[in-house]
Amino acid sequence: MGFSIAEGPEIEWAKYNFDYLNVPQDHSARDLQDTFYYEDDIVLRTQTSPVQVRVMQEQKPPLRIISPGRVYRCDEIDATHSPVFHQMEGLVIDKGITMSDLKGTLDLFAKKLFGEQTKTKFRPHQFYFTEPSAEMDVTCFKCGGIGCKVCSNTGWIEILGCGMVHPNVLRFCGIDPDEYSGFAFGMGLDRITMIKYGINDLRLLFENDLRFLAQFK
Amino acid sequence: MLVSLNWLKEFVDIKIPPYDFGEALTMSGTKVETMTVVAENVANILTGKITKIEPHPNADKLIVCTVDMGTDERVIVTAAKNVFVGAVVPVAVDGAVLANGTKIGTNDFRGLLSYGMFCSIEELGMNTDLFSKEIMEGILILPENTPLGMDARELLWLNDVIIDVELTANRSDCQSIIGIAREASATLDLPMAGVTTYDSAESTNQIANYLSVRIEDPACPRYVAKMLKVKKIEASPLWMQIKLQNSGVRPINNIVDVTNYVMLELGQPLHAFDYDSLQSQEIVVKTTTDKKIVTLDDKERDIDETMLMITNGKAPVAIAGVMGGENSEITETTSLIVLESANFNKGSVRLTAKKLGLRTEASSRFEKGVDPELAGVAALRATQLLLEIGACEVIEGLIDVYPHVAALKKVSLDINWFNTFVGISLTIDEIAKMLTRLFFKVEKSSDHVLEVEVPSYRLDIDLKEDLAEEVVRIFGYDMIPGTIMGGETMVGGKTPVQKFEDALKNILVGQGYYETLTSSFTSEKRLHGLNSQLEDNLIPLINPLGEENSIMRHTLIGHQLEVISLNYNRKNPFGRFFELSNTYRKNTKPGELPIEEQKLAISSYGGEDYFELKGVVELLLEQSGIKYPDFIAGGSDFLHPGRKAEIFVDGVKLGEIGEIHPVVVKNYELPKRCYVCQLSFAALFDCASLDNKFTDLPKFPASNRDLAILLKADIPAASVETIIRKNSGDILESIELFDVYTGAQIPAGYKSLAYALNFRHHERTLNDNDINPVVDQILSELKRSFDAQLRE
Repeated sequence: MGFSIAEGPEIEWAKYNFDYLNVPQDHSARDLQDTFYYEDDIVLRTQTSPVQVRVMQEQKPPLRIISPGRVYRCDEIDATHSPVFHQMEGLVIDKGITMSDLKGTLDLFAKKLFGEQTKTKFRPHQFYFTEPSAEMDVTCFKCGGIGCKVCSNTGWIEILGCGMVHPNVLRFCGIDPDEYSGFAFGMGLDRITMIKYGINDLRLLFENDLRFLAQFK
Repeated sequence: MLVSLNWLKEFVDIKIPPYDFGEALTMSGTKVETMTVVAENVANILTGKITKIEPHPNADKLIVCTVDMGTDERVIVTAAKNVFVGAVVPVAVDGAVLANGTKIGTNDFRGLLSYGMFCSIEELGMNTDLFSKEIMEGILILPENTPLGMDARELLWLNDVIIDVELTANRSDCQSIIGIAREASATLDLPMAGVTTYDSAESTNQIANYLSVRIEDPACPRYVAKMLKVKKIEASPLWMQIKLQNSGVRPINNIVDVTNYVMLELGQPLHAFDYDSLQSQEIVVKTTTDKKIVTLDDKERDIDETMLMITNGKAPVAIAGVMGGENSEITETTSLIVLESANFNKGSVRLTAKKLGLRTEASSRFEKGVDPELAGVAALRATQLLLEIGACEVIEGLIDVYPHVAALKKVSLDINWFNTFVGISLTIDEIAKMLTRLFFKVEKSSDHVLEVEVPSYRLDIDLKEDLAEEVVRIFGYDMIPGTIMGGETMVGGKTPVQKFEDALKNILVGQGYYETLTSSFTSEKRLHGLNSQLEDNLIPLINPLGEENSIMRHTLIGHQLEVISLNYNRKNPFGRFFELSNTYRKNTKPGELPIEEQKLAISSYGGEDYFELKGVVELLLEQSGIKYPDFIAGGSDFLHPGRKAEIFVDGVKLGEIGEIHPVVVKNYELPKRCYVCQLSFAALFDCASLDNKFTDLPKFPASNRDLAILLKADIPAASVETIIRKNSGDILESIELFDVYTGAQIPAGYKSLAYALNFRHHERTLNDNDINPVVDQILSELKRSFDAQLRE
């Protein structure tokens, strides 16, 4: 589909991680309880979105990128949380990109990733980076949508957040929102891996016991 | 947030089944997490009044109660201690089912038949967290005026569905029953009822004789106060208590319950002060230099001059938007109350609550932002309720300090833009209708432009994109078609660097190495274990999760050793690992981000020796098109002094390889022999020549020479190889170390290294005259450098 892989620093300017992404100045995500700081204006990125900012600022549209990588949040380690985890985000910017394109592209993506029979469901949500925003569920890859333990009997699994890139973000990155539009999406890779393989404890991913590693050849 | 469906139905006539309603709400943007019936199982529990209590003839601990069930009388034998003549109680009659599924029938209690049983809170399935132990353990005593023979499911809302909704951060207006009701109304396209408020058209302004209010800080945009005379402080009516309970709030007394009720209903936090204990005729909202305040929960709190306080002009009586002070608390003797319905700046409340470590229902609502317009309505709604339940009499007049009333926002929406942006085609009337359902005021300014007036409580709507989302979520996200984007065709795929990463990983996996995933954090303590001085270019974090995670790692070695240690201690007999990850260090250039450098670490233990690891590294280099790496003795202090080498290519250092130093082995609880290699990925990539150019097959035969070199055991093989290469001109094709020998045949402290050298010239056949001088040169150089001898 013409996507390239973009990478960027894990230790990032706070303005790239928050300001350019339209996160309000007084938002709690900026607190020391939520985000690791190296200096007052340098953080460990809490999402891979700053890579998108860098790409938008450095390259001219059309853009189609995905940005996988390590991200950091001040969460104590437990079965579902880790201060270090992984995200993959995607960004498309071009003239005439529509919300229908967002739906069609991510639906195709889900079918490629989880199988042709996969269905998707988009629910309204909220992110500062996008407007309108949505969360995408896919039919449970364990039970196919009938309902089972993996999907808490709903038949659906929440897989990613997405939306049309907020005009403020485009403007911050030097792209004219009257000329260009685009969509972005992001997902937590560790969580998807856990669901997909039925791993019940996130800590196993970071422990590297051979008996665990040997199961994923 | 917990939402009672029964309460919601007082505003919107929701007829569809609860599950369908939940689904509809989720699909329009209010995500329903769970829906739970308060007491699914409960059946046939009716209200009854105890008219007579007699002792049980055969049992001291039992009593025999005659109960008026409205239509009939029945006898209930019970051991309950809190029942009395005149008490109205829930009675599980014949065929009743308790919350836990137990079926109730007629039972013989020591010769007397009991036609059912009295029920406790728990047996009714009500939220036991909200009641005192005392009430929990006894039979639930209902208000005296409760109708008899009434089904407890209806009366106590045991049939209510509690909806747990997850609200997004921008929808502060949904933090109330009325907020969710607005969503329900818009989603289902149903009309919505309003609330009854106290009629503020009053003839006198009595309140002025008691109180004035002054705001001295912009963090309080509005302060509304109403005063009331208390008639009686008592329990609030059952219906009010049940709504509080089903919203997860504990009933306290009629005054406090009304403030909580209005907060749940409208989303405006309220506070009631005891007027007399204010000891002042004024309320001043300001910051103060006071150091302490005791809050309603009897805790002394440290306050400072950044926190907004409600004061009596001199001392604080409440922490604005967070919690009231004990010094002005409502008590049984309170005769006059001041009802505060105020608006506080979200940032100010958030910081104060954070500093105090005190989050309350009020503070969490203010933190998300409350509409200042709400303060007036809420004060009048609370007044209405306090009068309605007979708790108070009104003191006429209302104080409303509201310096800057904001104008309603207007946003225009171009229908053509909207349809293109979303990828659908709705008419202007369809769009106007959907916005109207969401309580926007809409006017057409042309055939394709709507001027939209935003309700004051929609703090989240500023732009046309915001309106687009509003329309689309009512239209239905699932109604938007899915299309594959047009536009310019783009060539994607991986960059050469990314392909090289994949190639390296594939080689290592192919060699039986497992890729590890370790955290990016380390610490001084962990680094000390590596037998090295701490470097001064480390990246410490300001707010780490504990000392052990306080520094961003500058090497992957420690984590590889931790992986080996874990596996060794879990009795995994051998292991081969690698990780390609970032390392971090200070940037000496001011104003730039720290340096992130990708490194490749490879490690092994058990059943492998140094040369095997070296072989794998050589394979990696060879596959990267790197011809002649130099392994030169030396390297970091975590490596064994005699078994380590630094790897160079054309003078560029790629990294190092070796056996782990015995001290480090001890520090990390490692097996005796482990081997590691760490390479700079960037250097490796720079040295790699990935274009695999074809070279003609050799036309002339090669000549082989085997050399066994005797030399001191502490001289690394890598140095020997370097010398061999340097002295071979351009005819040496390959070099292989095929044997290392120490033992009886050679002197102690010495070793023998056996090399197979392969010579070839691409234009002619080599003979002894070509090769002998080269071998001589090698041997003499080895002798000069290491006093090495050819072993005959």
